[in-house]
Amino acid sequence: MREVINSVGIDIGTSTTQLIFSKLTIENLATSYTVPRISIVNTEVVYRSDIYFTPLTNALTIDSEQVKNIVKGEYAKAKMDPKNLQTGAVIITGETARKENANEVLSALSKMAGEFVVATAGPDLESVLSARGAGTDKMSEEDRNIIANIDIGGGTSNIAIFQKGNLIGTTCLDIGGRLIKVENGKISYVYEKMADLAASIGIPIKVGDVADKGNLKQLATKMAQHLSMALNLTDKDERHQNLYTNDGIPVKSDISINGLTYSGGVADIVYNPSSEDVFRYGDIGPLLGEAINENNDFRKVKRYDAVETIRATVVGAGTHTTEVSGSTIRYEADCLPLKNIPVVKMTEEDEENMEAFSGRLAEKIDIFTNRSRDECVAVAISGNNHTSFDAVQQLAMGIINGLKAYDNPEIPVLVIVESDIGKVLGNALKVLMNQKRKVLCIDNIFVKDGDYVDIGEPVANGRVVPVVTKTLIFNR
Amino acid sequence: MDTKELRAIIEGVLAEMNLDAAQQTTSEPVGTEATKAVACEITDGCLDDITAIDIKQQYLVKEPYDREGFLELKQFAPCRLGIGKAGARYNTLPQLMFRAAHSAAQDAVFSDVDQNFVDSLGLFTIRSRCENKDIYLTRPDLGRRLNEEAVAAVKEKCEKNPQVQIFVSDGLSSAAVAANTKDVLAGLLQGLKSSGIKVGTPFFLKYGRVGAMDEISEITGADVTCVLIGERPGLITATSMSAYIAYKGTIGMPEARRTVVSNIHSAGTIPAEAGAHIAEIIKTILEKKASGTDLKL
Repeated sequence: MREVINSVGIDIGTSTTQLIFSKLTIENLATSYTVPRISIVNTEVVYRSDIYFTPLTNALTIDSEQVKNIVKGEYAKAKMDPKNLQTGAVIITGETARKENANEVLSALSKMAGEFVVATAGPDLESVLSARGAGTDKMSEEDRNIIANIDIGGGTSNIAIFQKGNLIGTTCLDIGGRLIKVENGKISYVYEKMADLAASIGIPIKVGDVADKGNLKQLATKMAQHLSMALNLTDKDERHQNLYTNDGIPVKSDISINGLTYSGGVADIVYNPSSEDVFRYGDIGPLLGEAINENNDFRKVKRYDAVETIRATVVGAGTHTTEVSGSTIRYEADCLPLKNIPVVKMTEEDEENMEAFSGRLAEKIDIFTNRSRDECVAVAISGNNHTSFDAVQQLAMGIINGLKAYDNPEIPVLVIVESDIGKVLGNALKVLMNQKRKVLCIDNIFVKDGDYVDIGEPVANGRVVPVVTKTLIFNR
Repeated sequence: MDTKELRAIIEGVLAEMNLDAAQQTTSEPVGTEATKAVACEITDGCLDDITAIDIKQQYLVKEPYDREGFLELKQFAPCRLGIGKAGARYNTLPQLMFRAAHSAAQDAVFSDVDQNFVDSLGLFTIRSRCENKDIYLTRPDLGRRLNEEAVAAVKEKCEKNPQVQIFVSDGLSSAAVAANTKDVLAGLLQGLKSSGIKVGTPFFLKYGRVGAMDEISEITGADVTCVLIGERPGLITATSMSAYIAYKGTIGMPEARRTVVSNIHSAGTIPAEAGAHIAEIIKTILEKKASGTDLKL
């Protein structure tokens, strides 16, 4: 049994807007005489759009109409009907996410792109998607070591670190090739943090100044140094903390990488240095690429070739946002798809103490969601050590009692469990509520407090549902 | 070579050995004392339970090139690899663990399911045409049929023409029945209930083979018959259970008409979840009116 589903990835970045279509192959890897084990076994990018400069109406707003035209045009070129897309993601990244109408553009686009295409944003998610698009996770799994990817775009540098294929850290810095723009030999735009950084090394720059290659190269060298600080390749200086996006948290200081990949637009210059005019793109991207290439700290670790460079984020968005649930789950098809469901995750301690479980659950729902009681909430549990039939019944009762305030019969009871007890727990919920509520209980999905999930319509003969987890709060 | 010569050689060898022993006199008494000291130490403790060792976590090679790498490989399957050796042989611990696993497998086959356990599940007990374990093991044909009392009991106690008839049987592992029946059966019954499927009267069949379900299917007139039966034990687990399910089974029907869910145990498919999964399969079988290779799941 093989099934192919179509996915789209759309990335609206600081400098470029891109789109890809991909095919995800879903297959049951178990033999026919055991319980099925369905996974995504292959992802293949089947269409790559042209790379467009992200259209802006002015410095603070995205040109929504132009973006829509780009997307429409590419759908037409690829002969892709949004109805034939089963999943996908639109991601707004880098500096573009700071624009005034970012949210508006994002939701408009996800509607236009296909019914099941989700809208996402967030520097941590972007870090992970670009690294997966660059193939960093696979390389670290293959070589059994710790590899970081830096996705150096126009507005931000997104870092994700994988150890033997597992994500161990993400972070994001306001360092990018387009934070200083150059037009007709003069500086036409300077991002505030870059002006500060430049001033701190004694080369004050402002809009209208002549673009001095030497000065800007010095600044680019400093930017590259900050990237190596972020990767623990050299000691951090006192200005470093100021450069993290949204006051983000650096990667843990005990992480010591032994390999690096580069993606994003600047990566092409890192991998393929050229002697062309450094201001050929109207920004300092090429200078930053050169500076990274010349930085000795980066040479301490092995350099790997990224599978994707400038397209890493969009490929990641199109091929790595969708997971499939476990293969033995319980759902009622008429409540799918579900979108933007907030997650309330119970801790292991909560699960160990079943007497207090219901109370804790009710409390948590009140604290973590500001939704009305008529909206769906996902209750997430690990289910570890609750795999016997009796323990499953206990869990089910705990959940039912905890959800007492959420008793609207129109709203399904949604439970996301890590261990493989989704179907038996779902049955227990159904029976213990006298079949009065719709029950959706999926397993083998790992989510955290504060995440949002989208659950698509069943695939693979109705055995599994596609799940997209939309925010990642990694740095804790 | 005559006896004299032989004796001379032996004496010569013995003399050499004595000489060697004499040269080691300085160290010998120390060793003997140490041995004595250990032999005399009496404690109230227990020996470690070697069957409690997780072989996926066990790595006994001395001075390995890459311990971590090997242990990562071991996570994929519970194999007896990376367990060191003494010359050409196993070390004592892996040898004992192997023997323990083998014993557990034999026990699973040769022992009977505790009758109190069966009663506690609320199941009545019937028997196949096998009189005892020896006949059961040597005459598979008799294990596939019910004895006269059993036929009468099923006719008398079981609901007629149910949608689903479920029964439990020892098969080749009584340990599997003891370990999994409670969770699998409960998960299965609740799953069927949640889908509104009616279940007949469940029972326990002693000395039963899979094929016995066909006669039971004929007697009860069930649409679907499902047996939860102990699998032939291996050296990794002796407690694995299977479910065989057939739509309107008949005596002598092709084996290909059975649908099977195997590998149900604590380290395989979680028993309670397996029960829920079997319920789903039964639901599909009822809808499609087919089982085994006739049914595309």
